[in-house]
Amino acid sequence: MSIVLAGHGLIKKYGSTMALSGVDVEVRERDSLAIMGPSGSGKSTLLHVLAGIIRPDGGQVLVRDERIDNLGENRLSALRRKRFGFVFQFGQLLPELPAEENVALPLMLEGVPRKAAVERARRWFAPLGLEGLEGRRPGQLSGGQAQRVAIARALVVEPDVVFADEPTGALDQNTSTEVVQLLTSVTRSQGAALVMVTHDADVAAHCHRILQVRDGRISGHSQYTVA
Amino acid sequence: MRSPVLPLTWHLARSSGRRGLQSQLLAAGAAAVGAFVMLVMVAAALGSGARADHTTWRTPAAVPAKEATAVQALATTYVRDEPVSVVSLAQLPGRGATDAPPGLSSFPKKGEMYVSPALAELMGKLPAGQLADRFPKVKSYGTIGAAGLASPDELVAVVGRAPTDPALSKAADGGGWYDAGQTERAMISDFSAAKPKASLFTESDQGAALLGVVLLVMPVVVLASAAGRLGAARREQRLAALRLAGATPRQILAMTAVEAAGVGAVGALAGAVAYGALLPVLAEIPYGVGGWYTGQLWVGLPWLAAVVAAVTVLITVSAVSMLRQVATSPLGVAQESNPRRTRAIRLVLFVGALIYIYMSSGGGQLNTRQLITLLILFYAAFWLFGPWVVDRLGRIVARFARRPATLLAARRLSDDPRGAWRTVSGLVLAGFVAGFFSVSQLDIGFADTPGQVGVVTSDATTARHTATEARTLLREAGIQAKVTIPGDDNFDTVLRGYEGVIAHVTGGPEQIDAAVTALTPVAAGRLPLTQDYVNASDDTITDRVAAASTATLALSFLIATASAGLTAAANVLDRRRVYGLLRLSGTPLRTLDRARIRETVLPLVVLAGGTTGMGVYGAYQLNKLADSTINTSGAIQLTVCVLLGALAMFAAISGSRPLLRRVTANPAQTAD
Repeated sequence: MSIVLAGHGLIKKYGSTMALSGVDVEVRERDSLAIMGPSGSGKSTLLHVLAGIIRPDGGQVLVRDERIDNLGENRLSALRRKRFGFVFQFGQLLPELPAEENVALPLMLEGVPRKAAVERARRWFAPLGLEGLEGRRPGQLSGGQAQRVAIARALVVEPDVVFADEPTGALDQNTSTEVVQLLTSVTRSQGAALVMVTHDADVAAHCHRILQVRDGRISGHSQYTVA
Repeated sequence: MRSPVLPLTWHLARSSGRRGLQSQLLAAGAAAVGAFVMLVMVAAALGSGARADHTTWRTPAAVPAKEATAVQALATTYVRDEPVSVVSLAQLPGRGATDAPPGLSSFPKKGEMYVSPALAELMGKLPAGQLADRFPKVKSYGTIGAAGLASPDELVAVVGRAPTDPALSKAADGGGWYDAGQTERAMISDFSAAKPKASLFTESDQGAALLGVVLLVMPVVVLASAAGRLGAARREQRLAALRLAGATPRQILAMTAVEAAGVGAVGALAGAVAYGALLPVLAEIPYGVGGWYTGQLWVGLPWLAAVVAAVTVLITVSAVSMLRQVATSPLGVAQESNPRRTRAIRLVLFVGALIYIYMSSGGGQLNTRQLITLLILFYAAFWLFGPWVVDRLGRIVARFARRPATLLAARRLSDDPRGAWRTVSGLVLAGFVAGFFSVSQLDIGFADTPGQVGVVTSDATTARHTATEARTLLREAGIQAKVTIPGDDNFDTVLRGYEGVIAHVTGGPEQIDAAVTALTPVAAGRLPLTQDYVNASDDTITDRVAAASTATLALSFLIATASAGLTAAANVLDRRRVYGLLRLSGTPLRTLDRARIRETVLPLVVLAGGTTGMGVYGAYQLNKLADSTINTSGAIQLTVCVLLGALAMFAAISGSRPLLRRVTANPAQTAD
């Protein structure tokens, strides 16, 4: 399978702090990569650099061999909107929009007519176990349900890569397992890659590979065979 | 046991970081604007009364002849369309000495004249033939002090004369219907009166200013209310967490009250300080007869304290009422699951109030108190109705929205209709004020006689003699004029049917002023009349209402703009996380910005348009009662004001765009 996302020699500094010190990483289609490490190790910075949210001070980021770290802000925004999906710990859903409109929003931003966007969004509700919750607002959903809506929103644009930053950080153990299983399986079934930051080894174990980051460097690399 | 409320509130306020500080600064800013505006309006109302009191000495209060010690006559002449009050005084021989009038060092003897500083300046600036020659040549000039003047810009002269001077004769008593308040004469013993009567040019100032105060109360309440709700989301979440941790509802409300009161009091005090510091600047703003003596605009400590307290209480009540939900449903608020919907009972109450207003106002002419009561009721009714309309508007627009920004805006409207209403209510109410006052100028316009200078005479024979004399004087002064003697049924002239002579002057204001000056000697105790004199009574009321409405409108826009700007900034701060994550996911900043603007534009257009139309309709009905037509220039003024108000509001909202950009720019600042 071809490489969809690659970072070569990534360097990022915050003042005198070296958040990334020459990190190399590659992600293939349908791959799932968990980034782990202690607090302050640079794992979130690595995810943000790979996702084009922050620019590296050195090195290159490539999406399907196209360099993105030197793109302008507007093109980066468009790239994130069209080719990436995002799942965060909490708070990414607009509280005033019903669930189906939250999922449809990225499509509408791409110019898909509202009716078609909502129809496409609704298709994600059954596979993610959200049937009947289309009209509920985020505040009326449980934490697990809200995260599944967030997963639907990340996948609705059929992205190349889904980035997840502590997606289960605010969930209990059981819900956490359910959500991460869904996230990894649905992402894979869509042919997308998954890059996930987590501090939870059980959550990371659902990914094909685990990258250990410490002091801005790759300190370990494990590979699993995930069903 | 010592209550933990105060220390905990203080600790949380201090530890709320930059974001908390920003919200508190915004709330304090809103409180400052509210307190400042209210103090300015109260100052205008109280100051108008104070300066009217300074003019009562000029209107003679008659005493029985045997008690009189002096004769006093008030006359009014106009220069460049501005009134000059001329008080003639004569000490009666063999009677006790009369005290000096207010503002004068002594009672003026024959040959002495006192003038106000503004009149002295004008006399020096204009050729003598246009102003100074209207007064007798005197031995000495004095200056009228502030105690005798309503305004430093007022034009007043006090002339000492002999009791037999024509200016103090019975002819100087006026008698025409348009003379009231401008030409009066009486035997006096001092300058106080049991029922003091203010000058015609200041007596309606306070009423018009009070109307402005009433009209601005609601926008200030709106602003204070908005200030109380600034940072609401942050405070709600923080206190909801405390509630979940076991704090009692009473403790939560007490903490909110203490924090809001503290911020509100600091802001209101800052507004009061700004008012005090700007007094000299405010005193330069002309109203009625001109600018102000700074002291006239000082409201005094009790009023200052009352306004600061009122604004603080409003902000506190607003913040506490907002948190009732936390006290009753902490989980709901913590998870933001309770949409703040409105009920149809609001529509019912609104319709009921409108029916009541219609039935109360349909029976005939209303007095000022009834009018103001109905106006307040109308405001209150609209306050109930506004959020309901916003809610419905949001639902309708959401149903048909095709673009993300419109959908976001519409959903926001129906999610928190009260919040959206509060943002626009300032301008919505200002629109009503503008609609009402800009077209309701009661411009009755009795005399339309430009270029006419009239001299009243006792009879037709005297008129013929006066006409000859007038022609000579005008010719000698080099003034082009045709002198005529209108019949006593000619009501279309400046004499309005009274016996006399009219000079039809060719040329501008300089020529009119020169003609008035030239004809002063032939007026025999009366000063020559112009159109300004005949229309003074109606023009003064029109002018004051127009000035008060313009000031009210300007201040309403200031409040509305402050409300919009502060609320927009507070919303950005309260929603920074969701905005930041949306932008991080690739949502263009302009989409978020458009949604924010549409969230304000939609209710503004519908509600401000609606209330402005209602204001215009109300004014139209009032004009009809007064047998007057809609003021075209007022309508243009209204259009300009609404446009400027809308632009100011958009500018205020756009002002928070850099803040939005900043708080969403770099969501990944940590090294992790």
